[in-house]
Amino acid sequence: MTDTSPNRRAATQRPLLEYKHVRKSFGAFTALDDISLTIYPGEVVCFIGPSGSGKSTLLRGTNGLDPFDGGEVIFDGLVLPRKPSDVRKVRRRMGMVFQNFELFPHKTALQNVAIGPITVLNTDKAEAEQQAMTLLAKVGLADKADNYPVNLSGGQQQRVAIARALAMQPEVLLFDEPTSALDPETIGEVLSVMKALADEGRTMVIVTHEMSFARRVADWVIVFERGKVLEEGPPEQIFEAPTVERTKEFLGHLGWA
Amino acid sequence: MTLDWSIVWLNKGLLAEGALMTIVLTVLTMGLAVPLGIVLAFMRISKWRGLALLSQCFVELFRNIPLILIVYWSFYVIPILVPVQFSAFTTGLIALVLCVSAYNAETFRAGINSVRAGQTNAGLALGMSQFQVMKEIILPQAARRVLPILATTWVSLFKDTSLVSVIAVGELSHVALQIRSQSFRVLEMLTAMAVIYWMMGYPQAKLSDWIRKKFEVKE
Repeated sequence: MTDTSPNRRAATQRPLLEYKHVRKSFGAFTALDDISLTIYPGEVVCFIGPSGSGKSTLLRGTNGLDPFDGGEVIFDGLVLPRKPSDVRKVRRRMGMVFQNFELFPHKTALQNVAIGPITVLNTDKAEAEQQAMTLLAKVGLADKADNYPVNLSGGQQQRVAIARALAMQPEVLLFDEPTSALDPETIGEVLSVMKALADEGRTMVIVTHEMSFARRVADWVIVFERGKVLEEGPPEQIFEAPTVERTKEFLGHLGWA
Repeated sequence: MTLDWSIVWLNKGLLAEGALMTIVLTVLTMGLAVPLGIVLAFMRISKWRGLALLSQCFVELFRNIPLILIVYWSFYVIPILVPVQFSAFTTGLIALVLCVSAYNAETFRAGINSVRAGQTNAGLALGMSQFQVMKEIILPQAARRVLPILATTWVSLFKDTSLVSVIAVGELSHVALQIRSQSFRVLEMLTAMAVIYWMMGYPQAKLSDWIRKKFEVKE
């Protein structure tokens, strides 16, 4: 493993998230084949690789939405529980942003952001809405607070979804291909919100096909192929001098290098 | 052939009572069939297989036989099954509730299932419980899709209450058909029946259209 690579500046701290020998299959298809990885606090880690390589499956198993078949996830020193009532307590500490936004269509932007704290943390409604307003302002959508998702563009919906995840004050943010469902002209606004979060020092795990974003923002990049980790390292290494031939080929297909 | 419309006017009191009874039957049936339909829908999606099967059998039985048969069946079978003597009205109400709650169960189940899985995941990812997801995320969205269908069921039910006339429940059809057979004013009474049903049904159909427009799900 390259965890102890001198390039990984956060590696002296206690890991925030560890995957140990994680496995998952869908029928005869092995989606994750004995994956072990470490993510440190404050890091921005990008999962890249071809479609079907297992990167989204790994991310979705991180908060137990799509549990693994074998191995374990260790979050902040504790193994992710399997019991629904226990895993819930861990989930609220992880924010998740989905490819298809999944905003609640029957709630306004403000209500979408406030609902987590109101229902899960029993935050007072007025207080939750005030916090929600601050978060909407942070993602540049204070003027859209009363809009329903149907009246927002894809990029705006995804920014609301990011604010919704932030409302729970998560210790890690999980992004599952956050720009893949967006029109090209709105991708930039979402990426710049994510860049701003990275600059705040938040721990972020991002499954992405946006290579230039990964190159610019990631502290650590992990390349997946066929349910295995092909290579991991700092972005300079992965994008400029990959040590594995298949990484070069994959990046070459994307017009990189 | 001469028509004598005075027969309608002469019996206006009886017809009004019949019409009122039709409305009472519709309201009571829906009032009972909505909660029962919700219970059946939750049984159907519950993880206890026995409950799910029970609900499925109920729904598939009562939704696939003609209502008039359920009416007759209730009339002849309920007195055998239970020692209590029900009035014709209660028997008719039971038959209607059995049929409409089976329809409603399917409506509610379809409404719940129509909310895509990603919505559940989004709620769970925030740390909500399954119950909270159901209450805050799924049901409010399902309700918007279910309401227009319930409105349509309501309009059908309003007309279908006429079927309980066969067991002599004194609703509009029964009253009108009684007058017809006593007076032999067949054409007049049937026309009067049609006009009264239409005048009551048309506003309900319009209201149902309005509900459909108003609650159309936009995503």
